[in-house]
Amino acid sequence: MNKKLIVLATLLALTCSLVFAQATTEQVPTAKANTEPTLSGKVVVYCPSPNSLANKIQAGFEAKTGVKVEMFQGTTGKINARLEAEKANPIADVVILASWSDGLKLIDQAMPYDAKGLDTMNKGWVDPQHKLYGYSASAIGVIYNTLMYPTLSADWSELGSAQYADDICMPDPLSSGSCKDFITGFINANGENGWKIIEDWKNDGLTIPGANAAALEAVMTGAKGILISGVDYNAYAKIQSGEPIGLYYPKGGTVINPRPAFILKTANNLDNAKAYMDYLLSDEVQKMIYEEYLLPGRSDIVASTRANVSDINTANYDWNWMAQNSDSIMNRFTTLMGR
Amino acid sequence: MRKSLAIPLLILLAVMVAFPIATLVFRSFTFEGQLQSGLAATSLISSESRISILNSLKLGFWVVIVSTLLAYPLAHLLSKTAFARHTWLSIVFLIPFMTPPYIASMGWILFTQKRGLLSQMIPALQGVEQYFFTFGGIVLVMSLHSFPFMLNFLKNAMMNISPNLDEAGAILGASRAYRTRRLTLPLLTSGYAIGALLVFVKTLSEYGTPATLGLRIGMEFFTTQIHRKASFMPVDFGGAARLSTILVGICITFWFLQNTISNHTSYATLGQKGSRNQLSKNSLRVSISGWTYIILLLIVSIGIPYFSIIMTSLIKIRGYGLRAGNYSLQAYQKLFSIETEGLRALWNSFYLSAIAATLAAILGTSIALTTHNKKGNSYKTIQALGLLPEMLPNIVLVIGMMIFWNLISRWIPLYNTQGMLILAYLVMFLPYTIQYVGGILTQMNNHLIQAGRVFGATDFYVKRKILLPLVFRGTLAGWMMTFIICFRELVASSLVLPVGYVTVSTYILREFEQGSVSLGMSMAVICVLCTTLVLLVLNQYTKKVSL
Repeated sequence: MNKKLIVLATLLALTCSLVFAQATTEQVPTAKANTEPTLSGKVVVYCPSPNSLANKIQAGFEAKTGVKVEMFQGTTGKINARLEAEKANPIADVVILASWSDGLKLIDQAMPYDAKGLDTMNKGWVDPQHKLYGYSASAIGVIYNTLMYPTLSADWSELGSAQYADDICMPDPLSSGSCKDFITGFINANGENGWKIIEDWKNDGLTIPGANAAALEAVMTGAKGILISGVDYNAYAKIQSGEPIGLYYPKGGTVINPRPAFILKTANNLDNAKAYMDYLLSDEVQKMIYEEYLLPGRSDIVASTRANVSDINTANYDWNWMAQNSDSIMNRFTTLMGR
Repeated sequence: MRKSLAIPLLILLAVMVAFPIATLVFRSFTFEGQLQSGLAATSLISSESRISILNSLKLGFWVVIVSTLLAYPLAHLLSKTAFARHTWLSIVFLIPFMTPPYIASMGWILFTQKRGLLSQMIPALQGVEQYFFTFGGIVLVMSLHSFPFMLNFLKNAMMNISPNLDEAGAILGASRAYRTRRLTLPLLTSGYAIGALLVFVKTLSEYGTPATLGLRIGMEFFTTQIHRKASFMPVDFGGAARLSTILVGICITFWFLQNTISNHTSYATLGQKGSRNQLSKNSLRVSISGWTYIILLLIVSIGIPYFSIIMTSLIKIRGYGLRAGNYSLQAYQKLFSIETEGLRALWNSFYLSAIAATLAAILGTSIALTTHNKKGNSYKTIQALGLLPEMLPNIVLVIGMMIFWNLISRWIPLYNTQGMLILAYLVMFLPYTIQYVGGILTQMNNHLIQAGRVFGATDFYVKRKILLPLVFRGTLAGWMMTFIICFRELVASSLVLPVGYVTVSTYILREFEQGSVSLGMSMAVICVLCTTLVLLVLNQYTKKVSL
């Protein structure tokens, strides 16, 4: 019996010591940022994948400014859920999302700021109020398994034909912001004809294996031959590591999706947040971006690792229309898919 | 002494459980500050919700049936035959339960999908995916996950049936069938009802399998819909809360049903004199059929998913699949090298779970002891609040806690700290300890305590020398369960993890969703190894302390 009491007491002591140990290491010095350019303290950033890019930017910014970056990584939905729950007690300073239209929905929570490098940005990748900065971007393409299709260049409408029956898949637009933007952009550009094409895909046995990586995984393993609406940077990275897949941008035109970064109105560490925005547009980060196979946000930076903006044929879409209509389009899409 | 503990417990549970849920329910009926009971009504009847609710109920029903069928023969073998001597079997059969459901489902998907591992090994079995990617497939995967839980309840109930009863029946001339029908089954009903209810509620509130496998076949369930409202754009906490309220209603109805059944069928079987378990040597027939069954079940519940998980973690280039020369340990190297993030995730999960499990063991035991055999509303409330988290899907609790602790963060700044995550773990898994300890208390015959009193022991002495040693087994089992589940917990971890932290499950999910499946799988393998190790160590220790 005494033994048991001792064990319990030890566990309790261990618990307490761990809690206190954590509590003491937790205390980050929060010196007040003054007006001089020297910065200190921290900046809280909510950002999406890819993880490797986020980590590189974090390390680079910490080394450059000495400001500690506290990062939460998650999908657009998770970031949003956090922002929603934290309304009474805002924590984040800078938010980065993977979808421009989701950025537009949060634009009222964003603060205008003229970041260094504003005039070098790609046309249309900053909103007129200078709140959202598309500091990087992804494009949507068709990704296919080269063991099953040595070459492929079918256009969107042709992918619904019988020859690809039961071999096509798509990421879940509910968890992939870029896939959602592709669908809304596609409908914006093609109207009812676009819906007809999506219906053809559905009748051809389109499946939805999950978020971006899960859908790509299905094509890599050959469970499906063709991924419609795949995010291109994932595919570039996998091709680089030797996976037997190919990527192309269909003739009918695709969607390039700037990834918006913005400062929250409620930011607690405003000077650090501004410095972080400047840093995102710096040569250093823009290079990291194309090293991770994303499109750089600045027009004067040329990516050597992948297709550039000028190489990609985009459809005719309007972001404001897409942001307004994305909810109803998603409703129609999920109903169409029978979910 | 009990009276004095009741009030602090009541306050603690109110803050931990009742306030967050109340906040959420309030939020579900208000929209921009205005009461909108109409909204709740529309959500009740929306056809989309109705379909997902029906899907979930159907799933829960079938999982209870299939996991009972899987667990019953095994429970019999492990409690009434010489197989009981192989204690390692009880541990091995915990592995399916310790495997995070989202990982097991991924394993099954990779195994059975078109051009998956199965058809790569046996090309003749191509086309098997059309049988697996169905509702039946989900039932199978979820039953294989939850049958150990059922096994645990059935086995304990069977072990507590004294052979004296059976022998008495036999001596009085009852046939084996008659004894099963009139003796064993009635005595099992109470334990089984609890097990069945828990499996049912667990299935209803499970997210991992419906999200991975359900998505593939285009089926929407209760939890996937709640998750969709709570963590996909456009975020709609109100809608999530309304759906959750319905789910809570359903779960509580079943809970009452189970309670009624158990109350009518519970018998005190522990603590009678001379209760002993005699294990006759197995006949050849029992041996052969027993081993066949056990081996088959092991292959299906552990072999297949783990083959898939381990292979995936070893394959170098996903596109070439199982092929000589396409294996490497690079995923594991990566796991432990890249800025040691993998290691950090493991360590974070380890100590967060240990703290949560310890707190849950202490609090759970106090609650069970305080409320045992007590009538009166405050005791009933304590017990109901302590057990409520089990009736609720985790996401409901977590969202409620998120909103509540944000509201009061000016006074108690817990949100966005590790304390918040520990608290979420504690609240979600507190019921385990309460149930384990409570289960022992219910079956404990009052004679033991009365005997102590007769011999002049004080109340405190009786507690220390009789009650605590008896319930310690339950406390430890509660600790173990809580630790294992927290170690791989996904919902709370992904929602209230403090900024800048990573745990095992968030690491795995991130790799599945955005990164490399091989890396995620290698983390899964390490995670299961860790929990199994903890389990083995504790089991060794329990053997030493058990009476």
